[in-house]
Amino acid sequence: MLATAVNEIVSTKINPNVVPHLHIWEWHIPLYLFLGGLAGGLLVITSIMIVLKRKFGIGPRDQGDGCPCLAVRIGSVLSPTLLGIGMLFLFLDLAHPLYVWAFYTTIQPTSPMSAGSWILIAFFPLAILQAMLVNKRQLRSFNIELINKVIDWTENHMTIVALVNAHIGVGIGIYTGILLSFFSARPLWSSSILGMLFLVSGISSAAALMLLLAPEDEKPVYSMIDANAIWIELMTVGLFVLGGLTGSANTHGAMMHLITGDINLAGMSYMFWFWGIFIASGLVVPLLLEFLEAAGVHIKFPNVAPVMVLFGGLILRFLIVFAGQTYHTFM
Amino acid sequence: MVIDTRVCVGCSACVYACKQENSVPEGYCRDWVVQESGGEYPKLTMENRSERCQHCENAPCVTYCPTRASHYAEDGTVQINRSLCTGCKACMAACPYDARYVHPEGYVDKCSLCKHRIEQGLETACVSICPTGSLNLVDFNNMDEKTKELLKGKIVYRQKEHAGTEPSLQWISASNKPGA
Ligand code: SF4
Ligand code: SF4
Repeated sequence: MLATAVNEIVSTKINPNVVPHLHIWEWHIPLYLFLGGLAGGLLVITSIMIVLKRKFGIGPRDQGDGCPCLAVRIGSVLSPTLLGIGMLFLFLDLAHPLYVWAFYTTIQPTSPMSAGSWILIAFFPLAILQAMLVNKRQLRSFNIELINKVIDWTENHMTIVALVNAHIGVGIGIYTGILLSFFSARPLWSSSILGMLFLVSGISSAAALMLLLAPEDEKPVYSMIDANAIWIELMTVGLFVLGGLTGSANTHGAMMHLITGDINLAGMSYMFWFWGIFIASGLVVPLLLEFLEAAGVHIKFPNVAPVMVLFGGLILRFLIVFAGQTYHTFM
Repeated sequence: MVIDTRVCVGCSACVYACKQENSVPEGYCRDWVVQESGGEYPKLTMENRSERCQHCENAPCVTYCPTRASHYAEDGTVQINRSLCTGCKACMAACPYDARYVHPEGYVDKCSLCKHRIEQGLETACVSICPTGSLNLVDFNNMDEKTKELLKGKIVYRQKEHAGTEPSLQWISASNKPGA
Protein backbone atom coordinates (compact mmCIF):
# COMPACT_ATOMS: atom_id res chain seq x y z
CA MET A 1 0.00 0.00 0.00
CA LEU A 2 1.22 3.48 -0.80
CA ALA A 3 1.37 5.68 2.23
CA THR A 4 0.87 9.37 1.59
CA ALA A 5 3.28 11.84 3.07
CA VAL A 6 1.67 14.80 4.75
CA ASN A 7 2.87 18.29 5.35
CA GLU A 8 0.87 20.57 7.54
CA ILE A 9 1.65 24.12 8.53
CA VAL A 10 -0.08 25.88 11.39
CA SER A 11 0.74 29.53 11.86
CA THR A 12 -0.26 32.05 14.51
CA LYS A 13 -0.05 34.94 12.04
CA ILE A 14 -3.29 36.88 12.35
CA ASN A 15 -2.81 40.06 10.35
CA PRO A 16 -6.05 41.06 8.65
CA ASN A 17 -5.89 41.36 4.85
CA VAL A 18 -2.68 39.31 4.86
CA VAL A 19 -4.00 35.94 6.04
CA PRO A 20 -5.58 33.72 4.84
CA HIS A 21 -4.56 35.51 1.66
CA LEU A 22 -3.57 38.99 0.60
CA HIS A 23 -6.48 41.39 0.40
CA ILE A 24 -4.89 44.80 0.18
CA TRP A 25 -6.51 46.07 -3.00
CA GLU A 26 -10.26 46.10 -3.34
CA TRP A 27 -12.51 47.68 -5.95
CA HIS A 28 -10.63 50.99 -6.16
CA ILE A 29 -7.58 49.59 -7.86
CA PRO A 30 -9.32 47.54 -10.60
CA LEU A 31 -11.54 50.52 -11.32
CA TYR A 32 -8.51 52.80 -11.49
CA LEU A 33 -6.70 50.38 -13.80
CA PHE A 34 -9.78 50.21 -16.03
CA LEU A 35 -10.22 53.98 -16.20
CA GLY A 36 -6.47 54.45 -16.71
CA GLY A 37 -6.51 51.96 -19.58
CA LEU A 38 -9.56 53.65 -21.06
CA ALA A 39 -7.92 57.08 -20.79
CA GLY A 40 -4.72 55.77 -22.41
CA GLY A 41 -6.70 54.08 -25.18
CA LEU A 42 -8.76 57.20 -25.86
CA LEU A 43 -5.61 59.29 -26.08
CA VAL A 44 -3.99 56.85 -28.49
CA ILE A 45 -7.01 56.65 -30.77
CA THR A 46 -7.84 60.36 -30.79
CA SER A 47 -4.24 61.44 -31.41
CA ILE A 48 -3.86 59.00 -34.27
CA MET A 49 -7.17 60.14 -35.74
CA ILE A 50 -6.00 63.74 -35.55
CA VAL A 51 -2.69 63.03 -37.26
CA LEU A 52 -4.38 60.93 -39.95
CA LYS A 53 -6.88 63.68 -40.64
CA ARG A 54 -4.49 66.60 -40.55
CA LYS A 55 -1.57 65.06 -42.37
CA PHE A 56 -3.22 62.63 -44.71
CA GLY A 57 -6.84 63.70 -44.89
CA ILE A 58 -7.97 60.24 -43.80
CA GLY A 59 -10.95 59.82 -41.46
CA PRO A 60 -14.58 60.77 -41.04
CA ARG A 61 -15.75 64.03 -42.56
CA ASP A 62 -14.82 66.91 -40.29
CA GLN A 63 -16.97 69.83 -39.33
CA GLY A 64 -15.07 72.39 -41.29
CA ASP A 65 -12.07 74.51 -40.33
CA GLY A 66 -9.97 71.49 -39.43
CA CYS A 67 -12.11 70.43 -36.51
CA PRO A 68 -12.12 66.67 -36.22
CA CYS A 69 -15.21 64.56 -36.04
CA LEU A 70 -17.47 64.54 -33.00
CA ALA A 71 -16.19 61.28 -31.50
CA VAL A 72 -12.61 62.61 -31.47
CA ARG A 73 -13.77 65.80 -29.82
CA ILE A 74 -15.62 63.95 -27.07
CA GLY A 75 -12.93 61.30 -26.72
CA SER A 76 -10.20 63.92 -26.26
CA VAL A 77 -12.12 65.50 -23.40
CA LEU A 78 -13.05 62.19 -21.81
CA SER A 79 -9.48 60.91 -21.75
CA PRO A 80 -8.05 63.29 -19.10
CA THR A 81 -11.41 63.37 -17.30
CA LEU A 82 -11.54 59.59 -16.86
CA LEU A 83 -7.91 59.49 -15.79
CA GLY A 84 -8.66 62.15 -13.19
CA ILE A 85 -11.53 60.08 -11.83
CA GLY A 86 -9.32 57.00 -11.83
CA MET A 87 -6.65 58.84 -9.85
CA LEU A 88 -9.28 59.77 -7.33
CA PHE A 89 -9.92 56.07 -6.71
CA LEU A 90 -6.19 55.47 -6.42
CA PHE A 91 -6.02 58.25 -3.87
CA LEU A 92 -8.95 56.79 -1.92
CA ASP A 93 -7.18 53.44 -1.75
CA LEU A 94 -4.20 54.89 0.15
CA ALA A 95 -4.18 53.99 3.83
CA HIS A 96 -2.92 57.51 4.48
CA PRO A 97 -4.28 59.69 1.66
CA LEU A 98 -3.01 62.92 3.22
CA TYR A 99 0.56 61.79 2.62
CA VAL A 100 -0.01 61.59 -1.12
CA TRP A 101 2.51 64.42 -1.57
CA ALA A 102 5.23 61.97 -0.58
CA PHE A 103 4.95 60.45 -4.08
CA TYR A 104 6.15 63.74 -5.51
CA THR A 105 9.15 64.31 -3.29
CA THR A 106 11.24 61.72 -5.10
CA ILE A 107 11.64 59.72 -8.28
CA GLN A 108 12.26 56.04 -7.57
CA PRO A 109 13.01 54.49 -10.94
CA THR A 110 12.81 50.95 -9.59
CA SER A 111 9.33 51.48 -8.21
CA PRO A 112 6.54 51.16 -10.77
CA MET A 113 4.27 53.08 -8.40
CA SER A 114 6.68 55.99 -8.37
CA ALA A 115 7.22 55.96 -12.12
CA GLY A 116 3.46 55.68 -12.57
CA SER A 117 2.67 58.59 -10.30
CA TRP A 118 4.93 60.77 -12.47
CA ILE A 119 3.56 59.44 -15.76
CA LEU A 120 0.08 60.26 -14.50
CA ILE A 121 1.11 63.86 -13.97
CA ALA A 122 2.93 64.05 -17.30
CA PHE A 123 -0.25 62.86 -18.99
CA PHE A 124 -2.39 65.87 -18.25
CA PRO A 125 -0.80 68.97 -19.86
CA LEU A 126 -0.64 67.69 -23.44
CA ALA A 127 -3.89 65.72 -23.20
CA ILE A 128 -5.67 68.85 -22.07
CA LEU A 129 -4.07 70.92 -24.85
CA GLN A 130 -5.28 68.40 -27.37
CA ALA A 131 -8.79 68.41 -25.89
CA MET A 132 -8.81 72.20 -26.07
CA LEU A 133 -7.63 72.31 -29.65
CA VAL A 134 -10.18 69.89 -31.05
CA ASN A 135 -12.90 71.84 -29.28
CA LYS A 136 -11.47 75.20 -30.32
CA ARG A 137 -14.63 76.47 -31.95
CA GLN A 138 -16.58 76.22 -28.72
CA LEU A 139 -13.70 77.59 -26.66
CA ARG A 140 -12.99 80.52 -28.96
CA SER A 141 -16.58 81.64 -28.57
CA PHE A 142 -15.77 82.61 -24.96
CA ASN A 143 -13.14 84.93 -26.35
CA ILE A 144 -10.69 84.63 -23.46
CA GLU A 145 -7.29 85.86 -24.57
CA LEU A 146 -5.16 83.33 -22.71
CA ILE A 147 -7.21 80.42 -24.01
CA ASN A 148 -7.00 81.77 -27.53
CA LYS A 149 -3.23 82.05 -27.25
CA VAL A 150 -2.91 78.51 -25.95
CA ILE A 151 -5.07 77.23 -28.79
CA ASP A 152 -2.98 79.14 -31.34
CA TRP A 153 0.21 77.63 -29.97
CA THR A 154 -1.25 74.13 -30.03
CA GLU A 155 -2.62 74.71 -33.52
CA ASN A 156 0.94 75.31 -34.73
CA HIS A 157 2.32 72.26 -32.98
CA MET A 158 -0.64 69.93 -33.35
CA THR A 159 1.10 67.08 -35.12
CA ILE A 160 3.88 66.89 -32.60
CA VAL A 161 1.47 67.20 -29.67
CA ALA A 162 -0.68 64.40 -31.06
CA LEU A 163 2.33 62.18 -31.75
CA VAL A 164 3.70 62.66 -28.25
CA ASN A 165 0.23 62.02 -26.87
CA ALA A 166 -0.08 58.77 -28.78
CA HIS A 167 3.07 57.59 -27.01
CA ILE A 168 1.99 58.82 -23.60
CA GLY A 169 -1.31 56.98 -24.15
CA VAL A 170 0.57 53.76 -24.91
CA GLY A 171 2.73 54.40 -21.84
CA ILE A 172 -0.28 54.77 -19.57
CA GLY A 173 -1.93 51.67 -21.02
CA ILE A 174 1.17 49.54 -20.51
CA TYR A 175 1.85 51.04 -17.11
CA THR A 176 -1.53 49.87 -15.77
CA GLY A 177 -0.36 46.30 -16.39
CA ILE A 178 3.29 46.76 -15.45
CA LEU A 179 2.17 48.08 -12.09
CA LEU A 180 1.10 44.54 -11.26
CA SER A 181 3.55 42.52 -13.31
CA PHE A 182 6.62 43.73 -11.40
CA PHE A 183 5.44 41.93 -8.26
CA SER A 184 7.26 38.64 -8.55
CA ALA A 185 5.84 37.64 -5.15
CA ARG A 186 2.39 37.35 -6.79
CA PRO A 187 2.60 34.55 -9.34
CA LEU A 188 -0.47 35.51 -11.41
CA TRP A 189 0.71 39.08 -11.94
CA SER A 190 4.30 38.26 -12.58
CA SER A 191 3.94 38.12 -16.37
CA SER A 192 5.49 40.70 -18.66
CA ILE A 193 2.67 40.33 -21.17
CA LEU A 194 0.20 41.77 -18.67
CA GLY A 195 1.28 45.28 -19.72
CA MET A 196 0.49 44.45 -23.33
CA LEU A 197 -2.83 42.83 -22.40
CA PHE A 198 -3.97 45.87 -20.43
CA LEU A 199 -2.85 48.18 -23.23
CA VAL A 200 -4.85 46.41 -25.96
CA SER A 201 -7.76 45.97 -23.61
CA GLY A 202 -7.62 49.72 -22.94
CA ILE A 203 -7.61 50.41 -26.67
CA SER A 204 -10.50 48.04 -27.39
CA SER A 205 -12.51 49.56 -24.53
CA ALA A 206 -11.72 53.07 -25.74
CA ALA A 207 -12.78 52.19 -29.29
CA ALA A 208 -15.99 50.71 -27.90
CA LEU A 209 -16.68 53.87 -25.93
CA MET A 210 -16.09 56.04 -29.01
CA LEU A 211 -18.32 53.72 -31.01
CA LEU A 212 -21.07 54.31 -28.46
CA LEU A 213 -20.64 58.07 -28.58
CA ALA A 214 -20.08 58.53 -32.30
CA PRO A 215 -22.89 59.71 -34.56
CA GLU A 216 -24.17 57.22 -37.12
CA ASP A 217 -21.88 58.26 -39.98
CA GLU A 218 -18.72 57.99 -37.87
CA LYS A 219 -19.53 54.60 -36.33
CA PRO A 220 -17.96 52.34 -38.99
CA VAL A 221 -14.45 53.69 -38.27
CA TYR A 222 -14.65 52.92 -34.58
CA SER A 223 -16.29 49.60 -35.16
CA MET A 224 -13.33 48.67 -37.33
CA ILE A 225 -10.77 49.88 -34.79
CA ASP A 226 -12.62 47.99 -32.07
CA ALA A 227 -12.79 44.74 -34.04
CA ASN A 228 -9.05 44.88 -34.74
CA ALA A 229 -8.20 45.67 -31.13
CA ILE A 230 -10.41 42.81 -29.90
CA TRP A 231 -8.69 40.46 -32.28
CA ILE A 232 -5.26 41.44 -30.97
CA GLU A 233 -6.56 41.26 -27.42
CA LEU A 234 -7.75 37.68 -27.95
CA MET A 235 -4.26 36.74 -29.14
CA THR A 236 -2.63 38.51 -26.21
CA VAL A 237 -4.87 36.94 -23.61
CA GLY A 238 -4.15 33.58 -25.24
CA LEU A 239 -0.42 34.18 -24.80
CA PHE A 240 -0.96 35.32 -21.23
CA VAL A 241 -2.83 32.11 -20.41
CA LEU A 242 -0.33 29.91 -22.25
CA GLY A 243 2.61 31.64 -20.59
CA GLY A 244 1.06 30.94 -17.21
CA LEU A 245 0.14 27.33 -17.92
CA THR A 246 3.56 26.42 -19.28
CA GLY A 247 5.41 28.21 -16.49
CA SER A 248 6.78 27.00 -13.18
CA ALA A 249 4.56 25.46 -10.50
CA ASN A 250 3.92 28.96 -9.14
CA THR A 251 2.71 30.50 -12.39
CA HIS A 252 0.92 27.37 -13.56
CA GLY A 253 -0.99 27.13 -10.30
CA ALA A 254 -1.85 30.82 -10.41
CA MET A 255 -3.18 30.60 -13.96
CA MET A 256 -5.28 27.55 -13.09
CA HIS A 257 -6.54 29.47 -10.08
CA LEU A 258 -7.83 32.11 -12.49
CA ILE A 259 -9.14 30.12 -15.43
CA THR A 260 -10.54 27.13 -13.57
CA GLY A 261 -10.88 28.75 -10.16
CA ASP A 262 -13.97 28.16 -8.06
CA ILE A 263 -13.44 31.19 -5.84
CA ASN A 264 -16.53 33.30 -5.75
CA LEU A 265 -16.57 36.86 -7.07
CA ALA A 266 -19.97 38.53 -6.69
CA GLY A 267 -21.84 35.24 -6.85
CA MET A 268 -19.91 33.60 -9.69
CA SER A 269 -16.71 31.59 -9.86
CA TYR A 270 -13.52 33.06 -11.37
CA MET A 271 -13.78 30.42 -14.08
CA PHE A 272 -17.19 31.58 -15.16
CA TRP A 273 -16.25 35.26 -15.06
CA PHE A 274 -13.13 34.61 -17.08
CA TRP A 275 -14.53 32.38 -19.84
CA GLY A 276 -18.17 33.41 -19.80
CA ILE A 277 -18.05 37.13 -19.17
CA PHE A 278 -14.59 38.28 -20.22
CA ILE A 279 -13.67 35.96 -23.11
CA ALA A 280 -17.10 35.04 -24.54
CA SER A 281 -19.30 38.03 -23.89
CA GLY A 282 -16.53 40.64 -23.67
CA LEU A 283 -14.49 39.63 -26.71
CA VAL A 284 -15.78 36.81 -28.92
CA VAL A 285 -19.45 37.78 -29.19
CA PRO A 286 -18.81 41.51 -29.80
CA LEU A 287 -16.18 40.59 -32.38
CA LEU A 288 -18.76 38.48 -34.22
CA LEU A 289 -21.38 41.22 -33.93
CA GLU A 290 -19.05 43.85 -35.31
CA PHE A 291 -17.98 41.51 -38.08
CA LEU A 292 -21.63 40.96 -39.03
CA GLU A 293 -22.29 44.69 -38.92
CA ALA A 294 -19.34 45.33 -41.22
CA ALA A 295 -20.55 42.58 -43.55
CA GLY A 296 -23.81 44.47 -43.90
CA VAL A 297 -25.99 42.34 -41.65
CA HIS A 298 -28.02 44.84 -39.72
CA ILE A 299 -28.12 44.24 -35.98
CA LYS A 300 -31.12 45.40 -34.06
CA PHE A 301 -29.27 46.80 -31.05
CA PRO A 302 -25.93 48.08 -32.35
CA ASN A 303 -24.93 49.39 -28.92
CA VAL A 304 -24.88 45.94 -27.37
CA ALA A 305 -21.43 45.01 -28.71
CA PRO A 306 -19.53 48.06 -27.36
CA VAL A 307 -21.24 47.81 -23.97
CA MET A 308 -20.16 44.17 -23.76
CA VAL A 309 -16.58 45.11 -24.60
CA LEU A 310 -16.51 47.80 -21.93
CA PHE A 311 -17.95 45.46 -19.33
CA GLY A 312 -15.47 42.75 -20.32
CA GLY A 313 -12.58 45.20 -19.91
CA LEU A 314 -13.76 46.16 -16.45
CA ILE A 315 -14.14 42.51 -15.43
CA LEU A 316 -10.65 41.70 -16.70
CA ARG A 317 -9.15 44.23 -14.24
CA PHE A 318 -11.26 42.92 -11.35
CA LEU A 319 -10.37 39.31 -12.10
CA ILE A 320 -6.65 39.89 -12.40
CA VAL A 321 -6.42 42.10 -9.30
CA PHE A 322 -8.52 39.76 -7.17
CA ALA A 323 -7.25 36.39 -8.40
CA GLY A 324 -3.66 37.63 -8.05
CA GLN A 325 -4.32 38.23 -4.37
CA THR A 326 -6.36 35.14 -3.53
CA TYR A 327 -3.69 32.84 -4.95
CA HIS A 328 -0.92 32.01 -2.51
CA THR A 329 2.28 34.01 -2.32
CA PHE A 330 5.32 32.91 -4.34
CA MET A 331 6.60 29.61 -2.94
CA MET B 1 19.22 36.32 13.33
CA VAL B 2 19.72 32.60 13.78
CA ILE B 3 16.64 30.69 14.87
CA ASP B 4 17.31 27.32 16.39
CA THR B 5 14.17 25.33 15.72
CA ARG B 6 15.55 22.33 17.60
CA VAL B 7 14.75 23.97 20.90
CA CYS B 8 11.69 26.06 19.99
CA VAL B 9 8.66 24.81 21.90
CA GLY B 10 6.21 27.14 20.17
CA CYS B 11 5.28 29.01 23.35
CA SER B 12 4.75 32.34 21.52
CA ALA B 13 6.54 34.34 24.20
CA CYS B 14 8.38 36.15 21.38
CA VAL B 15 5.07 37.18 19.87
CA TYR B 16 3.73 38.65 23.09
CA ALA B 17 7.00 40.33 24.02
CA CYS B 18 7.02 42.02 20.62
CA LYS B 19 3.41 43.07 20.90
CA GLN B 20 4.11 44.77 24.20
CA GLU B 21 7.46 46.29 23.29
CA ASN B 22 6.27 47.72 20.00
CA SER B 23 2.65 48.48 20.91
CA VAL B 24 1.43 46.23 18.12
CA PRO B 25 -2.33 46.79 17.86
CA GLU B 26 -4.72 44.08 18.92
CA GLY B 27 -5.38 41.55 16.17
CA TYR B 28 -2.01 42.17 14.48
CA CYS B 29 1.49 40.75 14.85
CA ARG B 30 5.01 41.57 13.74
CA ASP B 31 6.24 38.05 14.48
CA TRP B 32 4.42 34.76 14.66
CA VAL B 33 5.04 31.10 15.37
CA VAL B 34 4.73 28.35 12.81
CA GLN B 35 4.42 24.66 13.48
CA GLU B 36 5.22 22.50 10.50
CA SER B 37 4.63 18.77 10.71
CA GLY B 38 5.26 16.31 7.95
CA GLY B 39 6.45 12.91 6.93
CA GLU B 40 4.84 9.53 6.72
CA TYR B 41 3.28 7.80 9.68
CA PRO B 42 4.87 6.55 11.87
CA LYS B 43 7.93 8.57 10.84
CA LEU B 44 6.62 12.05 11.51
CA THR B 45 8.64 15.18 12.08
CA MET B 46 7.70 18.51 13.55
CA GLU B 47 9.38 21.89 13.55
CA ASN B 48 8.39 24.94 15.56
CA ARG B 49 9.79 28.24 14.52
CA SER B 50 9.38 31.92 15.14
CA GLU B 51 9.05 34.01 11.97
CA ARG B 52 9.17 37.72 11.11
CA CYS B 53 10.40 40.13 8.44
CA GLN B 54 13.60 38.68 6.99
CA HIS B 55 15.39 42.02 6.64
CA CYS B 56 16.31 41.06 3.10
CA GLU B 57 19.52 42.40 1.63
CA ASN B 58 17.82 42.73 -1.74
CA ALA B 59 14.42 43.70 -0.41
CA PRO B 60 11.62 44.08 -2.96
CA CYS B 61 9.64 46.12 -0.43
CA VAL B 62 12.37 48.77 -0.60
CA THR B 63 12.74 48.50 -4.37
CA TYR B 64 9.02 49.07 -4.97
CA CYS B 65 8.34 51.70 -2.35
CA PRO B 66 7.55 54.87 -4.30
CA THR B 67 8.32 57.29 -1.48
CA ARG B 68 11.52 55.95 0.17
CA ALA B 69 9.44 55.23 3.28
CA SER B 70 10.74 51.66 3.20
CA HIS B 71 14.51 51.88 3.28
CA TYR B 72 17.72 50.20 4.39
CA ALA B 73 19.02 51.53 7.68
CA GLU B 74 22.75 51.93 8.18
CA ASP B 75 22.91 48.70 10.17
CA GLY B 76 21.49 46.82 7.14
CA THR B 77 18.02 46.28 8.57
CA VAL B 78 14.93 47.28 6.57
CA GLN B 79 12.96 50.06 8.23
CA ILE B 80 9.83 52.11 7.50
CA ASN B 81 9.67 55.87 7.86
CA ARG B 82 6.11 56.44 8.99
CA SER B 83 6.07 60.09 8.06
CA LEU B 84 6.67 59.20 4.40
CA CYS B 85 4.42 56.14 4.14
CA THR B 86 1.29 56.77 2.05
CA GLY B 87 -0.13 53.30 2.68
CA CYS B 88 -0.09 52.46 -1.01
CA LYS B 89 0.68 48.84 -0.06
CA ALA B 90 3.09 48.22 -2.93
CA CYS B 91 5.56 46.85 -0.39
CA MET B 92 2.98 44.37 0.87
CA ALA B 93 2.35 43.05 -2.62
CA ALA B 94 6.11 42.84 -3.15
CA CYS B 95 7.07 40.91 -0.01
CA PRO B 96 7.35 37.16 -0.68
CA TYR B 97 7.11 36.50 3.05
CA ASP B 98 3.92 38.47 3.76
CA ALA B 99 5.72 40.05 6.67
CA ARG B 100 3.88 43.39 6.61
CA TYR B 101 0.48 44.72 7.56
CA VAL B 102 -1.40 48.01 7.39
CA HIS B 103 -1.42 49.60 10.81
CA PRO B 104 -4.87 50.95 11.73
CA GLU B 105 -3.26 54.40 11.99
CA GLY B 106 -2.61 54.37 8.24
CA TYR B 107 0.95 53.27 7.61
CA VAL B 108 2.54 49.95 6.86
CA ASP B 109 4.27 48.24 9.73
CA LYS B 110 6.46 45.21 10.33
CA CYS B 111 9.33 43.92 12.47
CA SER B 112 11.93 46.64 13.00
CA LEU B 113 14.35 44.22 14.65
CA CYS B 114 13.76 46.43 17.70
CA LYS B 115 16.01 49.10 16.25
CA HIS B 116 15.36 51.33 19.26
CA ARG B 117 16.61 48.63 21.63
CA ILE B 118 19.63 47.61 19.58
CA GLU B 119 20.72 51.26 19.50
CA GLN B 120 20.76 51.15 23.27
CA GLY B 121 22.90 48.03 23.25
CA LEU B 122 19.97 45.77 24.15
CA GLU B 123 18.75 42.67 22.38
CA THR B 124 15.40 42.57 20.61
CA ALA B 125 12.36 41.94 22.81
CA CYS B 126 11.79 38.50 21.26
CA VAL B 127 15.40 37.41 21.74
CA SER B 128 15.51 38.62 25.32
CA ILE B 129 12.36 36.75 26.31
CA CYS B 130 12.82 33.43 24.50
CA PRO B 131 12.94 30.85 27.34
CA THR B 132 14.76 28.18 25.34
CA GLY B 133 17.40 30.30 23.64
CA SER B 134 15.96 29.52 20.22
CA LEU B 135 16.36 33.11 19.04
CA ASN B 136 19.86 34.48 18.54
CA LEU B 137 20.75 37.93 17.34
CA VAL B 138 23.70 37.56 14.99
CA ASP B 139 25.78 39.93 12.91
CA PHE B 140 26.57 37.71 9.94
CA ASN B 141 29.37 40.01 8.79
CA ASN B 142 31.05 39.66 12.13
CA MET B 143 30.15 36.28 13.59
CA ASP B 144 31.29 35.49 17.09
CA GLU B 145 32.64 32.13 18.25
CA LYS B 146 29.40 31.18 19.99
CA THR B 147 27.41 31.51 16.78
CA LYS B 148 29.99 29.65 14.76
CA GLU B 149 29.79 26.83 17.26
CA LEU B 150 25.98 26.92 17.14
CA LEU B 151 25.89 26.60 13.35
CA LYS B 152 28.76 24.15 12.99
CA GLY B 153 27.84 20.95 11.18
CA LYS B 154 24.11 21.70 11.22
CA ILE B 155 21.59 21.76 8.45
CA VAL B 156 20.84 25.47 8.22
CA TYR B 157 18.37 26.96 5.76
CA ARG B 158 16.94 30.25 4.62
CA GLN B 159 13.33 30.56 3.46
CA LYS B 160 12.40 30.98 -0.22
CA GLU B 161 15.98 31.71 -1.17
CA HIS B 162 14.96 31.32 -4.81
CA ALA B 163 12.86 34.46 -4.49
CA GLY B 164 16.21 36.21 -4.74
CA THR B 165 15.70 38.60 -1.85
CA GLU B 166 18.78 37.55 0.15
CA PRO B 167 16.91 37.09 3.43
CA SER B 168 18.95 37.63 6.60
CA LEU B 169 17.24 35.09 8.83
CA GLN B 170 18.68 31.61 9.14
CA TRP B 171 17.01 28.60 10.63
CA ILE B 172 18.74 25.63 12.21
CA SER B 173 16.51 22.84 10.98
CA ALA B 174 14.68 20.60 13.43
CA SER B 175 16.03 17.68 11.43
CA ASN B 176 19.30 18.24 13.32
CA LYS B 177 17.64 16.80 16.43
CA PRO B 178 18.99 13.44 17.47
CA GLY B 179 16.65 10.71 16.23
CA ALA B 180 14.86 12.98 13.77
S1 SF4 C 1 10.80 39.99 4.47
FE1 SF4 C 1 9.44 41.25 3.24
S2 SF4 C 1 9.21 43.11 4.42
FE2 SF4 C 1 11.00 42.09 5.25
S3 SF4 C 1 12.74 42.97 4.10
FE3 SF4 C 1 12.12 41.09 3.02
S4 SF4 C 1 10.70 41.81 1.46
FE4 SF4 C 1 10.88 43.47 2.96
S1 SF4 D 1 2.81 51.41 1.82
FE1 SF4 D 1 4.32 52.90 2.60
S2 SF4 D 1 6.23 51.73 2.89
FE2 SF4 D 1 4.85 50.51 1.62
S3 SF4 D 1 5.44 50.98 -0.49
FE3 SF4 D 1 3.75 52.37 0.01
S4 SF4 D 1 4.74 54.22 0.80
FE4 SF4 D 1 6.31 52.60 0.82
